[in-house]
Amino acid sequence: MLLLIAAQLVAALLAPALVRWWGPRAFFALALVPAATFGWLLAALPRLTAEGAVREQVGWIPTLRLDLDLRIDALAALMALLVTGVGALILLYSRWYFADEREGLGRYAFSFMAFAGAMLGLVVSDNVLLLYVFWELTTIFSYLLIAQYYDVRSSRRAALQALIVTTFGGLAMLVGFVLLGAVSGSYQLSYLVAHPPQGGVAVAAAVLLLLGVLSKSAIVPLHFWLPSAMAAPTPVSAYLHAAAMVKAGIYLIARMNPQFAALPVWRWSLLVLGAAGLLVGAWKALRQADLKLLLAYGTVSQLGFMAFSFGIGTPQAALAGVLLIVAHALYKSTTFLVVGAIDHATGTRDLRLLSGLGRRAPLLALAAALGIASMIGVPPLLGFVAKDAVYEAARGTLPAGPGPVVLVAVTFLGAVLTVAYGVRFWWGAFATWDPDRPEADRARPTHAVGRGIVAAPLLLALAGLGAGLTLPWLGPALARAAGTPELEVGLWHGIGLPLLASLAGLLGGAVLVVALRRRGAVRALVPEHLEAQAQYRRLMRGLDRVAGEVTGATQRGSLPFYLGAALVVLAALLLWVLLAGGRPALPGGWEPWDSPAEAWVAVLTVIAVVAAARSRQRLAAVLLVGVSGYAMVAIFVMRGAPDLALTQALVETCTLVAFVLVLRKLPKTIRHRHSGRQRARRLLIAIPLGVLVAVGGAVALGMRTAPAISERFPGPVYDFGGGRNIVNVILVDLRAWDTFGEISVLLAAATGVASLVFLRRPTGSPPQLDQNARRRTALPAQHRTFLRGGLAVAAENRSVVLELATRVLFPTMIVLSVYLLFAGHNVPGGGFTGGLVAGLALVVRYLAAGRYELGEAAPIDAGLVLGLGLLFAGGTGAAALLTGGAVLQSTIWTATLPLFGDVKLVSALFFDIGVYLVVVGLVLDILRSLGAELDRREESAGAAPNAGGEPAR
Amino acid sequence: MIRVLAPLPVLLPLLAAGLTLVLGRFPRLQRTVAVAVLGAVLGISVVLLVNANASALGAEATTVGGWPAELGISLVVDRLSAVMLVVGTTVTFGVLLYAIGQGSADAREGDPPPVSIFYPTYLVLTAGVCNAFLAADLFNLFVGFEVLLAASYVLLTLGGTGPRIRAGVTYVVMSLLSSTIFLIGIGFTYAATGTLNLAQLAERIGALPEATQTLLQVALLVAFGIKAAVFPLSAWLPDSYPTAPTPITAVFAGLLTKVGVYAIIRVQTLLFPSGALDGLLLWTALATMLVGILGAIAQTDLKRMLSFTLVSHIGYMVFGIGLATTAGFAGAIFYVAHHILIQTTLFLAAGLVEFGAGSTLISRLGGLARVAPVIAVLFFVPAMNLAGIPPLSGFIGKLGLLEAGAQVGSPLAWALVGGSVLTSLLTLYAVAKVWNRAFWHPVENDDAPESEPGPMRSQVRLMVGATAGFTVVTLGLTVFAGPLYGLADRAAQDLLARRPYVDAVLHQPAPAGPVAAPVGGAP
Repeated sequence: MLLLIAAQLVAALLAPALVRWWGPRAFFALALVPAATFGWLLAALPRLTAEGAVREQVGWIPTLRLDLDLRIDALAALMALLVTGVGALILLYSRWYFADEREGLGRYAFSFMAFAGAMLGLVVSDNVLLLYVFWELTTIFSYLLIAQYYDVRSSRRAALQALIVTTFGGLAMLVGFVLLGAVSGSYQLSYLVAHPPQGGVAVAAAVLLLLGVLSKSAIVPLHFWLPSAMAAPTPVSAYLHAAAMVKAGIYLIARMNPQFAALPVWRWSLLVLGAAGLLVGAWKALRQADLKLLLAYGTVSQLGFMAFSFGIGTPQAALAGVLLIVAHALYKSTTFLVVGAIDHATGTRDLRLLSGLGRRAPLLALAAALGIASMIGVPPLLGFVAKDAVYEAARGTLPAGPGPVVLVAVTFLGAVLTVAYGVRFWWGAFATWDPDRPEADRARPTHAVGRGIVAAPLLLALAGLGAGLTLPWLGPALARAAGTPELEVGLWHGIGLPLLASLAGLLGGAVLVVALRRRGAVRALVPEHLEAQAQYRRLMRGLDRVAGEVTGATQRGSLPFYLGAALVVLAALLLWVLLAGGRPALPGGWEPWDSPAEAWVAVLTVIAVVAAARSRQRLAAVLLVGVSGYAMVAIFVMRGAPDLALTQALVETCTLVAFVLVLRKLPKTIRHRHSGRQRARRLLIAIPLGVLVAVGGAVALGMRTAPAISERFPGPVYDFGGGRNIVNVILVDLRAWDTFGEISVLLAAATGVASLVFLRRPTGSPPQLDQNARRRTALPAQHRTFLRGGLAVAAENRSVVLELATRVLFPTMIVLSVYLLFAGHNVPGGGFTGGLVAGLALVVRYLAAGRYELGEAAPIDAGLVLGLGLLFAGGTGAAALLTGGAVLQSTIWTATLPLFGDVKLVSALFFDIGVYLVVVGLVLDILRSLGAELDRREESAGAAPNAGGEPAR
Repeated sequence: MIRVLAPLPVLLPLLAAGLTLVLGRFPRLQRTVAVAVLGAVLGISVVLLVNANASALGAEATTVGGWPAELGISLVVDRLSAVMLVVGTTVTFGVLLYAIGQGSADAREGDPPPVSIFYPTYLVLTAGVCNAFLAADLFNLFVGFEVLLAASYVLLTLGGTGPRIRAGVTYVVMSLLSSTIFLIGIGFTYAATGTLNLAQLAERIGALPEATQTLLQVALLVAFGIKAAVFPLSAWLPDSYPTAPTPITAVFAGLLTKVGVYAIIRVQTLLFPSGALDGLLLWTALATMLVGILGAIAQTDLKRMLSFTLVSHIGYMVFGIGLATTAGFAGAIFYVAHHILIQTTLFLAAGLVEFGAGSTLISRLGGLARVAPVIAVLFFVPAMNLAGIPPLSGFIGKLGLLEAGAQVGSPLAWALVGGSVLTSLLTLYAVAKVWNRAFWHPVENDDAPESEPGPMRSQVRLMVGATAGFTVVTLGLTVFAGPLYGLADRAAQDLLARRPYVDAVLHQPAPAGPVAAPVGGAP
């Protein structure tokens, strides 16, 4: 079985290629697949009868209890035979229906075959989750099939509407299944049916399942998608909207009925909604002029009828329901295919335009007649048998249900309406009307109805007749499918209520047809604004509006708003935690500060921060922010951390330089001021949050349960890390992995700066004096000297003092930086500080003599330095791996050298060199981008107007 | 084995970043290095996953620098981090191929993108992501975040156009805020426990009073919540992601938020198993799902719409986390893996749409199903997957979460179950609306897009190939859902058991001698 389903899906994947090669004739080949399945099912029937059910099980997702669990019992076999049999015939039909269409045919063939596979899977699934999988797949493929002609707006809309409505129901059903599974511990369909849950769970599950059923089987009030879906090609309608997909819900009712029939909510829903569907659908069908729409509403009516029938709840009713399923599948696909053939031949489906078709296409008329006869319940067709069975069921009812009179009356009323629209259909399509009206109004047949296209509807119609005639053999099988093998299905029950009602219904229908022809058009009974379709539209519009409003409220596009939201969330949560936790315990021995100087630093910081926030001058604001940075330096110094203090000071200085370089491009003053209310709001967030974080920190510290891990550092740092400077060993060894990450952050930041400044120009080394400029300086090229780049700077911009200072400072700083790098492992310093000092040395030269001097000082691409740095650091880590250590593990070499004495070399030094290079590269990168490149632009911007003469004032 | 392999997903991309920067003038070499290294990292990640899954504990650890575990930084590969590694490196590798295709394809416009910056930064991003997954130390996790964020700042503003700079400001400032809060959380944590080693924290945090535990938890969750874009901390995302170049958006959307989700999963299970904030998480999950998907419905731009679905579906993962059961975490893990891949695929497909039609404004699209059937398939399948249409992986993840919710069975859990299916329906509505418009709606003005793609050039083929590759991988999630979901389930069991992780870090025989063996003497 699984193989057969897979075969359909494989055929679906191959279908587009086949169609491309063979054109519409590919449908012959494709039809073989469902036909073969049909044959296999027939062959399996004896085994099925003997064993009760054929099972197949393949594991898929055992954790979720979603397995490929197939079970074919009588009902599944019946449904599968319908699905494959009708499917094969409609594929045959498609060969002629699409005879002159090429575009989109591959798409159609794919979707159709895939749909057939999914539908087959649906009816043989014994796992409700798997059933849902196939259920949803039929929805998706129907979406694609409805929109086969997607250039037409109504097709697209109908497809979307069908998709949303049926998926809505499907999801509700899924929740129902999950609920059932959670309560009963199994997702096996047969198990669930055999072990129905009780009480509220059962009611909830029943309601959820019903939503799925209503939406899929187009039962009032979720029926409205079905008439719209008639935008699909007619073979699609014949299959999806008559024989197969819309039966999925009814099939589920049939499956679940033994479990849920005892629930009033289940039965009453089916009865009431089914009856409503039966009557409303039939009434609307009467009003249609489009043959296909007429059939669509007829389908809504008949699906309601089936639901109604199952809703009666007795075994006889279940049997009647199953009979209705089969009869409807046969006659409704027949009539749809007939409409398709008419449409194909005449180009219209309007029964007001068609005339005389019966004479020109007698076989088609015959097929239609047989179909309609079955639909309106003319003996001996299967439709009659089914209707007869419903009457039979309506006579006996369950205690908590409506009385037999009501049930019979509803059935009768439905039958009368059905007869009326059925007759109207056939008459409208095939009769010769109003011979006195001018021919011009009529649709002209564009071509004769072909023989091939008649084959499928005729075969289906004959099947309905045959089924009625062979009832003695077929009856027991159908009764088994309904789960009521004890009941008898017969054509002839003697003269009783059912027969009389049937005949009276036929008569009543005929009268109604005549009466309506007299009165003219049928008027609407239901006001338009109550129509489900209109409600759906309104709902979707409302959804779009709510979506817009919610999004407008939350998605302000304002960064301050987002920041405020995040900060408020944090503050609220902290407040809640601190309040809920009772009185916060402060750490033992709590003191506000160790030395009064710390307090002064804190006060200074606060003043600087407030002043920075209030400053109108950009430069001043930056400097004030810098003050808080230097305040940290002071704190580090007071706490005895010279290394951190040094680093912090250098970082702060470099940051300031970068800031100043950028600020050149910005207006000096901050013009935009926030209103008082805005500021008040910000203060209201900022101050409490600051307090809360501080309190939180204090509370956390007060709860310290174990000694800090850092207390164990000193010993291993010297023994294992080989250095006396604990900070440096932490940076380049103990937590070198962090440092490694952070230098890659520096690298990324550097590339970011370059990326933004250079945009699409290739980056490179800083500008150097070209040969011309060198000649202008009148210095021989080999005369190496400092500050040659300054010669390119206009005299008034040069500062002799600065240049002189630089001549002294630069070499000193470079030496210092190298010293810091190499000594760092044991005394304050290290690659990071060393790199910063070297960077500052470059800054000094750039400031003293401009961008050309930068190029002279460091005639290399910053990217190269950065890259080499990262390679150095990473290479150290990789080397440790290669020599059998852990990544970045240090190796210590000791040696005795003449002159130097005992020398200890730790491999972490190489890592530190990498850090050094990356830091230098970063500073160089910032200087070349924010410094030299911006200089160049300013100069060229300044030069450009001059080139064109004096700018006009 | 683990000693060598575990650091490589970070080490190799960073070495390659250095190398590509050095090779700045040789784009072809850069490309070769980047592709080879990311491919190798993907392979290594797979090996790590197989190893971790086969190991006795289900988790393996190594210490950086050979220091004792409690002093130094450990890298841990357990089932969760290994799964994240494999999925993450799959994304970075695949998107790199796509970006190469697009980069060359864009070259016909005449302005070469700053490739000398793209490759190193992209490699750094990969390293950061991998580091975040591997880190067994709260501060190192922070470093991982910083690495990937720093690289992401650069990538987001690539090209420096006005909208990108504006989006970049939002993104950078929000990310910095999140990092600051993360640091506050780290400060709280170290203050209270005296360590940042996750395994040690797992042992120490339990000794703290409950309110203090919650204090630490709140700070960390807010920080991760911003990164993961959990409502109401999510609004920055749709304002920033969609402006970046497509491959960048694809990686960001697929991967970066999930690093935040990963961090939430990790701290929720390892550090804060008491479940004090589970109810709160469930509520935020519900709000995230619904607000996000309503946002998606209201969008007029394809990429922005996808960004909102991204936010919305983060809610699913938080749902699973908030349930705090094995089934819940298993669902969340599966969903994370699924969503990383699917969101990436969809953005790549959106990039193809942009490439084919010249715009991602939905109202300016049309007729693509006819003009570009391949793109249509590559959009439709992932879009349906995102909407949770069975049997695609989105459905499987959702089903897992629904079952987990039903298992818990509280009213709030059922509300989440309802919210999940509603979100699923609205997601379907959102993507189907776009599909109807962009692919089925006939083109109104013929002159607008130069829609005749002609014979596909090799670069375009690379873009399409990469997208198709992702689609195939996401289909693989369905085909192999059984073992994969089993893996997610075992990962969830490990998380809740907590022991495997702690034992792997703290109670394993040290690899080398704790004291450096002096090697050699002669210089």
